[in-house]
Formats: sequence, C-alpha cells, structure tokens
Amino acid sequence: MHKIPAFLFCLLLGIPAFAQPKGYSPVKNTQAFQQELIQSNRTKQTISSDFTQTKNLSLLEDRIVAKVKFLFKKEDRVRIEYTSPYYYLLVMNGGQILVKDEQKTSRINTGNSKLMQSVNRVMIDCMQGSVFQNPDFTVTAYENNTGYLLQLVPATAAMKNMFRQIEVQLDRRSLDVSRLTMKEAGGDYTDMDFRNTKHNVALDETLFKVK
Amino acid sequence: MSRWMRRCLKSSSLALLCLAGSCASPYRSLKPAGPPVVSAARYQPVFEKALYRCVVDGRFFFRRFRLSGVLLLKRMPDHTTRAVFQNEMGFSFFDFEWDDRDSFKVNRVIPQLDKPAVIATLEKDLRLLLMKGLDYGSEQYYRDDAATWHRFTLDKGYAWYVEENNLLTRIENSGKRRVITMGLSGPGQPGSLPGGVLIRHHRAGFTIQLHKINQDASE
Repeated sequence: MHKIPAFLFCLLLGIPAFAQPKGYSPVKNTQAFQQELIQSNRTKQTISSDFTQTKNLSLLEDRIVAKVKFLFKKEDRVRIEYTSPYYYLLVMNGGQILVKDEQKTSRINTGNSKLMQSVNRVMIDCMQGSVFQNPDFTVTAYENNTGYLLQLVPATAAMKNMFRQIEVQLDRRSLDVSRLTMKEAGGDYTDMDFRNTKHNVALDETLFKVK
Repeated sequence: MSRWMRRCLKSSSLALLCLAGSCASPYRSLKPAGPPVVSAARYQPVFEKALYRCVVDGRFFFRRFRLSGVLLLKRMPDHTTRAVFQNEMGFSFFDFEWDDRDSFKVNRVIPQLDKPAVIATLEKDLRLLLMKGLDYGSEQYYRDDAATWHRFTLDKGYAWYVEENNLLTRIENSGKRRVITMGLSGPGQPGSLPGGVLIRHHRAGFTIQLHKINQDASE
C-alpha cells in the first residue's frame, strides 16, 4: 500500500496543514517544557521591554514600522505604548482596557478590542507560561539550539477570522519572548521584535491606571 | 379671526419660511463663472506612497464609537492605487484597489466591515479625496466672494472642489443638501496630497480624521 504524505492527506481532507517551522523540531516532552515555562515565569514579577512592530504588506511589497514600549506587571497588567510614527497607548488592568491616542482617552468596547484582548492574552500567557491553556488556540511547541517556537493555530471562529496563525519565539535560556508574529488570512503578517528585556524592575502602579 | 389666531398664523408662516430657507441648497449663493478658469484636474494628487493616522468618530443607536488606525495609500508599478487601513497593532481592516481606469475592487475586508453600504461609503470618501472617476467633461465653475467652486456631476449628486488662492481647501459631495464635506489642510498645492483631512458625513453622523505622518519609524 502506498503511503500518502501527511500534507497531501490533509489537503485531501480539507484540513490546513501547518508545516513544521524551518530549523525547528517538535519539543519532545511538552509537559516538561510547560512546567519549565511556568517555573521560569514565576520569578518574573515585572517585565520591561521595547519592541519594533513591522507590518509586512505582502501584496503591496511594503511595510510599516512602529516603535513600542512594553511593560508587564503580575498578574495581568500590561502597558503598550506606541511612540513612533504615531502615539497610541493601550493599558490592560484586569478586565479593563484603556486606550489613548493623540486626542482622546477612552475605554474600548469594539471588535477592535477583541483583537487587542486576544493579542494581549497571548502576551500575558507567554509571560505567565499559561499559553498552552489558551482555549482560543491550539498550541504546538518546537525547539532548536537557540530557542523555542510556539505555533498558535486559531481554534475558534472569531480567532480564525482574524488570524491564520500566531508564532511566538522564546529565548532558550531566559524563556523571554523574542518575537511575536501575527499572520493574517490574506498573507500579511506583523512581527513584534522584542529587545532590552528586563525583569523585576520597579514599575509604578500609576503606569497601569485605567480610570 | 381673533388677534391671537392671526398672531399664531403669522408666527407659523415665519417659521415655515425659515425652515424652507434652511432646506434651500447651500450652493444657492454661488454665481456661475465661465472660462478661463483652470480645471480642478490639476489638483488630482500624484504620489507614490503616503501614510495617514486615521481616527473615525461616530454614533450608532445612541452609542458613541471610535476606531483608529493607519491608512496607507500607495501607487503600484502596475498603475493601480491601493488603500490599506490597519489598526495600530498591524491588523488589516480593508485593502481597496483602483486600476488605471479608476475601476474599483475590494481585495480584502474584515467581516465586520463587509457590508455594501460601509464599503460604498469608504470607497466614496477615498475616491473624492484622490479625485478618481471624475467626469472632467461635466466640470462647471462657480464663484463666491472668496473661492472658485469646481462642480463635477456624479452618478448621484455632485462633487465640489473648492479652490482658494490656488490652493485646494475643501471637497464636498452633495445632492440637494451637503452629504459629505472634507476640510483640507496643508499643503493644498496642485498635485499634492493634503497634510490633514477632516471628513464629515452629515447624514450618517460620523467623522473621519486623517493626519499625514512620517512613512514609518525606520525612516
């Protein structure tokens, strides 16, 4: 009997085949990796980092780059501040979200916020090590000599409308997020490249004020 | 008829007259101006790429909404023009395209915006701003004290391009009344995209603000 290659089998069944990322192999013991992630993040009370966000527009052969400051404080406080080429502040504190642009401060409650909530949930999950418990995605872990790669495939209709896939790259030693890539259905994707990551720096509560 | 009734009738007539006056065309005071007025075609923007900060403010069933993001306008090597709107985190809301004959198509739109009325409204705003699909043969010229008004006939209503001191300062879309007004700021010279645009949808009750920004943080 002929063996049907896995991707052809998936194609025949109409199931999207998500190829193994180049240069990575599957994490052999996912349970142990999850424990390592949780253990590592247990010691990180705060995280301060910068990231460069690059939106790659595949059909336009163009990109839009933004500079961003990222702060995280346990358990669930996140501050993302876009400083260039536009100003935009997003603060998540518990279940509340504050948004501030050049003109106005407001709480958001739109489809837009669903996206932000899901991206931030992924970020918080990565910071806390709870990414495998996120019900919106099916998570597969890969590794190589320098790091880990978590492939998040949307499991719900709402997420499938927004993303084709999210990839999270973690530094092998520190288990910090080094890159987060959001891939859209149309082929466009956004890279968030983290740098200057510091742990347990003092972060004032006012930075996460949402009222 | 009592004095009181006569007074009431007089007041009602006055009110009706005022109402009729307010419903009259806002363009009634314009005077036709014949050639030699230079066509507004010279204001059609010529560009390779432009990036705008975009904020939409409105009200829907007594609830306010605000949507913000970045609008990228790009002229492609195949002479198509693309308009891509994304939120701050990079997620694309729509990708519109006009070919070299100004024929329009939607490359991508998120399900929440994928409604004919929404797409038609957004497309019309961008088409007016980019001066696409105008019938230059229908252009007529009017003047008021300060400006020259270039009127183009559309499938429904008119597009007005208002020129003051050789600068394009305003774009309007009207039927019997104003439907859309766009206030333009800097530079406004022929062939350039404006630095800022405030689009008011008078019937739909929402505004779109565009503010030109540097291409991106890497440049």
